[in-house]
Amino acid sequence: MNEPSGRVRLLRIAIVLAAVFDILALLVFLREKPVFFAGFMFVGQPLFLVAVLLLLGAVVAELRAKQLL
Amino acid sequence: MDGLPLPHGWIGTTADWMRGFGIVFVLLNLVLLAVAWRSLRRSGVSASTRGWLFVAVGLLPLMVAFLSFAHGLEQSSTVASCGSCHVMTPFVADLRDIQSDSLAATHFKNRYIQDRQCYTCHSNYGLGGTLRAKLEGLGHVWRYTTGAYEIPIKIAAPYDNVRCLGCHGASQKFLNAAGHPKEELPNLARNATSCLDCHGPAHAAQQKAAAR
Repeated sequence: MNEPSGRVRLLRIAIVLAAVFDILALLVFLREKPVFFAGFMFVGQPLFLVAVLLLLGAVVAELRAKQLL
Repeated sequence: MDGLPLPHGWIGTTADWMRGFGIVFVLLNLVLLAVAWRSLRRSGVSASTRGWLFVAVGLLPLMVAFLSFAHGLEQSSTVASCGSCHVMTPFVADLRDIQSDSLAATHFKNRYIQDRQCYTCHSNYGLGGTLRAKLEGLGHVWRYTTGAYEIPIKIAAPYDNVRCLGCHGASQKFLNAAGHPKEELPNLARNATSCLDCHGPAHAAQQKAAAR
């Protein structure tokens, strides 16, 4: 796998996960249903965590590629 | 606030503002994610893209998470939230019925409890009571979503008198009532006698279910 395009793919996945997190959060604000809150807590927040980990992974990979780490 | 004009200069509640800010942050974050997506190039990640990504994936979602959690936690204890599951419809309908003389309706129509009436009467006092109520609520969502429940809905455990006594226990009206002799108070405190034995049923729906 080409290194820059691999990192870009990781970052695109992180963006999609963050977008899903946002949509689940929007449902919490717009609809007063406990199921949306439960969905946000148990699906949305883990997706956000994965997105942040992917972002960190991409940053570390870039720093390693530049031999700064 | 139903039936009352809002005071002059009313700018909404804290919950209203949190909801408003939350929606704005979510929409802003979605726009920033789109900008970050467009600025990503296959050949690599530019300095400006790194900045967009840091804000859109790392920073702004933290604000969204905080506001959604606070708003969701608050909203999950409202009567509207409890009534959003159809199995609760008869209970909430009775609660809001000003002709009903059930214990729940009496408390609601006279605003003996100002808001979050279902939650107030169905959660114990203190942090432990809140945590337990939230965990039980999660169980209710799971059972409702998976259909693992039976009609008529029954309370899971005998109703704890502490939920009544938390408000009424120190009231002079309660302490001096002829129906509450002093020798009976210890029995009420340790649930040997239920408040609902004399003051129930709490909900008209329960009465109908029992009659079937």
